[in-house]
Amino acid sequence: MTQEQSGRVIPLQNEMAEMLFAATQEVFTSMLGSEIEQVPAPEAERSTPFDGVLSLIGLAGALIGNGALVCSEAAARDLSSRLLYAEFSHVDEQVLDAVGEITNMIVGGFKNLLEAHVGTLQMSIPSVIYGKNICTRDSKADVTVSVRCAFAGGEFGLTVRLAAARQ
Amino acid sequence: MRTEPPNLLIVDDSTAIRKILLRVLNQTGLELGLVLEACDGKEALKVMEGKDISLILSDINMPNMDGLELLRTLRATPQWHDLPVVMITTEGGQARVQEAIDLGATSYVRKPFSADLLRDKLAALLSK
Repeated sequence: MTQEQSGRVIPLQNEMAEMLFAATQEVFTSMLGSEIEQVPAPEAERSTPFDGVLSLIGLAGALIGNGALVCSEAAARDLSSRLLYAEFSHVDEQVLDAVGEITNMIVGGFKNLLEAHVGTLQMSIPSVIYGKNICTRDSKADVTVSVRCAFAGGEFGLTVRLAAARQ
Repeated sequence: MRTEPPNLLIVDDSTAIRKILLRVLNQTGLELGLVLEACDGKEALKVMEGKDISLILSDINMPNMDGLELLRTLRATPQWHDLPVVMITTEGGQARVQEAIDLGATSYVRKPFSADLLRDKLAALLSK
């Protein structure tokens, strides 16, 4: 099942959400030793100011856009502990690096699945932001896919926004 | 036949991945010499100067000099032409894998990886 955007055939939103969750599951199973489940996403998660960690990776190719992971400070520390087998009492450079790498693996896995439909995509290196009242604004996307996941250490949100590249 | 324990180089811009790879290497049970680290290809080439490196584990997507450029440079340098290089990366697309193999990558491991599989692969490479 596909839809056409600006002359390009790309998977439907629900198929892309399945790809994103599958990529996330693989990271949790292989690297974090934890199960995850999908939970309902709050409305307009990324348009509401929030406190915590935002990790972003750019995508470019036939489609352009980004993939983002959003979580609380506590969830970021827990994710990092699972990846590095270490305890973190606060968000530091190691936690930001670990969250960036987890995002990299999730978005990378999603990209690998999507490439079967849209051709080769390039990924940027992650940018990770930690703070209060974080607001984000994105340009108009053709497809926005959001998945919210729960694991033993909390919850996190994933969003991929893509638009057809200008020719 | 190698007599000295092998020196290794881990190249990744993520300190988290460098730590994980170090842990996996320690779990191989093999006697290792120096395990050096670099955050990109450019730093890797500096770190390697004057060292007898037996194996490189390298990411692809890195700032300054990426893993494919590092591989290209190594294969063009007589001293490093045959040095085993394992690419460890999220870039699992067939085109990217083929590009790395064409450039002379010894092996390719996609992140996320199973520590057990990676440990076995590294143990096999280091036992040669």
